[in-house]
Amino acid sequence: MTALALTLRSPPARQLDLSALIPERLSGLNATQVGAIPLQDGSCVGDRFEIGAGDAHDLVIRNSCTLLTHIGAGMRSGTITVEGDCGACAGTAMNGGRLNINGNAGALAGSAMKAGMLRISGDAGDFAGGAPDGERQGMRGGILLIDGNAGDRAGERMRRGLMLVGGNAGAYCGANMLAGTLFVAGKVGTMPGFSLKRGTLLLAHAPEHLPATFRDSGEHSLLFLALLERQLLLDRRTFARFLPLGKKVRRYCGDLAWGGTGEILVFA
Amino acid sequence: MIRNGVAIDDTFAEAFGMRATRILITALNLKWAYHAARAVTSYATSVIGCGCEAGIERELPAQETPDGRPGLSVLLFAVSGKELAKQVERRVGQCVLTAPTCAVFAGLDGEPVNLGRNLRYFGDGFQMSKVIGGKRYWRIPVMDGEFLCEETTGMIKAVGGGNFLVLARGQSEALAACEAAIDAMSKLPGVVMPFPGGIVRSGSKVGSKYKALAASTNAAFCPTLRGAVKSELPAAAGAVLEIVIDGLTEADVRGAMRAGIDAACGVGAAGGILRISAGNYGGKLGQFHFRLHEIMQ
Repeated sequence: MTALALTLRSPPARQLDLSALIPERLSGLNATQVGAIPLQDGSCVGDRFEIGAGDAHDLVIRNSCTLLTHIGAGMRSGTITVEGDCGACAGTAMNGGRLNINGNAGALAGSAMKAGMLRISGDAGDFAGGAPDGERQGMRGGILLIDGNAGDRAGERMRRGLMLVGGNAGAYCGANMLAGTLFVAGKVGTMPGFSLKRGTLLLAHAPEHLPATFRDSGEHSLLFLALLERQLLLDRRTFARFLPLGKKVRRYCGDLAWGGTGEILVFA
Repeated sequence: MIRNGVAIDDTFAEAFGMRATRILITALNLKWAYHAARAVTSYATSVIGCGCEAGIERELPAQETPDGRPGLSVLLFAVSGKELAKQVERRVGQCVLTAPTCAVFAGLDGEPVNLGRNLRYFGDGFQMSKVIGGKRYWRIPVMDGEFLCEETTGMIKAVGGGNFLVLARGQSEALAACEAAIDAMSKLPGVVMPFPGGIVRSGSKVGSKYKALAASTNAAFCPTLRGAVKSELPAAAGAVLEIVIDGLTEADVRGAMRAGIDAACGVGAAGGILRISAGNYGGKLGQFHFRLHEIMQ
C-alpha cells in the first residue's frame, strides 16, 4: 500500500501546528475526511495540503518548511516521513512509531519523547530531546537520532532513552541530565554535562573543556557498551556512523556538585 | 522390552510440577564462567535439602551471549516461584556478583524473577541503570570494574524429578552406563541432571521408620538389603544408580530420558547392565508420569 502523501501547497504565513496529523488519528479516514480536519490556525488540512490516496499508517509530508511545527507530536504508531525541513517540537512527546525528518528540525525535537524512533537526517535545533516548557523531564525513552549537528542544550533534563548525535553538539550538551544515554560522535561545545545528575554522556572526542566539577576516574572497559554496540548493530545501516564502539573509555564522574553519580565517557 | 540384552521395566518415572528459570553467566573466559556457574549450582541437588535444583545446561559461544563473551547457561528449579526467587537472588548475589569479570543475564522470557533488581543496592548509590533494547540492566561498581546484570529473568512452569534406574552387576558397570547416559543427555537443551556428576546413588522412598524423616533409603533397590526386605533386584544385581532429570518442558524430560536410556543400553548386557527401571510413588504424588516403554518406542 502506498503512503498517504500530504503536499504543502505553499508555505504558511506563520507557524502551523501539525500535531493533529498523526497516523493513528488519520487511519480509516478518506481524503475528504482528512481534508476536513481543522488546524490550529483555523484552516483545514485540505486548505493547506494536497491530499493523495494512501495508507495513513505511512504518512509523508512533502514540501515541508520550518514553519510547520509539532509534526508527529504525541504519535504512537506508524511512520511519518517529512520531506524538507520542519519547525519546532517535531516528535514532542511521541510514544511510539517512527518519525523520519529528511531535512533539518527546529528546537525541541523529540522533547519529552517516550518511545519510538525519531531520525533527523540534517541538523536539530536547541533543546533536542530536552524538556518542553513547564516540564521537569526531557526525553523519557525511545531513540532520537540526529545525523547532523545538534544545537545547544541537547538532551537537557533527559530522563531515559538513547540519543545519538552524528555531528557536533552545542554548549551545555546533556545539561541537567537525570539518566539515559547521550552519544555525540562529533565535538561538543562548552560545559558538557553541566549539572549532570545521573546518566551517561558518551563522547567520541574529548571535550576541550570539562566543567570543574567532573573528576577523572581513569580508563576502563565497560561491559554495557558491548550491549549497546550489539543493539546498534541490529540496525547497522542506520547507526553505521556510530559503529564500532571503542573498547575503552576514559570515565569522568560528575557532576560532583550534584552527587557525582553521572558520567562522561570519552572513547580512548 | 529388551534393548541390547537389557530389560526395560514396564513402569514409569513420577515427576512433579516445578518453577524454573534460566540465567546466562558470562565472563572474560570460560574458565571464570565455570567458576561462577559451578558455585551457583553447587549444593543444589535436591529441593528437599537445598531449596532448589540446578545445573549447567550448556556452554555458550561468544556470539550467543548478550555481551559477546563466552558463557554458560544455567537452569534452576524450585517448588514455588517464591522459593525460586529467593534462591536465584542469593546464589547470584553470592556466586556471580563475587566472581571476577562475570556478568549475568536473563535466559528465559516469563514471569519476572529478580536478578539484579535488589542486588543493585550493593552499589551503595553508585549503581547505574541502563535500558538497552527494552531491557533494564544494572551496572554495579565492584573492585574489578563493574558487575553488569539484567534486572530480572523469566520464570516458567517446568518439570522436576524425571528419572530412571540402571541395575548392573556391580558399581563400575552401573557407573559406566550412567556416565554414558549423562554424556548423551548433557548434549540436550532444556534439561539438567542436578546430582553430582548427574548420577544419584541414594534413591529414596517416601517415609521412614523415624517420624522426623519424610524420606529414607529406597530399600527395595539396595543390593545389601536383598533378603531383608521385599527386593526389586535380581540376584545378579550388585549396584543400582539413578539419574534424575529436571526439564523446562515435559518433552525435554522425555527426550533426555530416551537419550539416557539409549546410551545406558548401549553398554548392554555384555557390559554388565541388567535392567532399566524407574522411580515412582505409585502415581499418586507427581503430576507427570513418564512410562519407559512409551518413551523407548
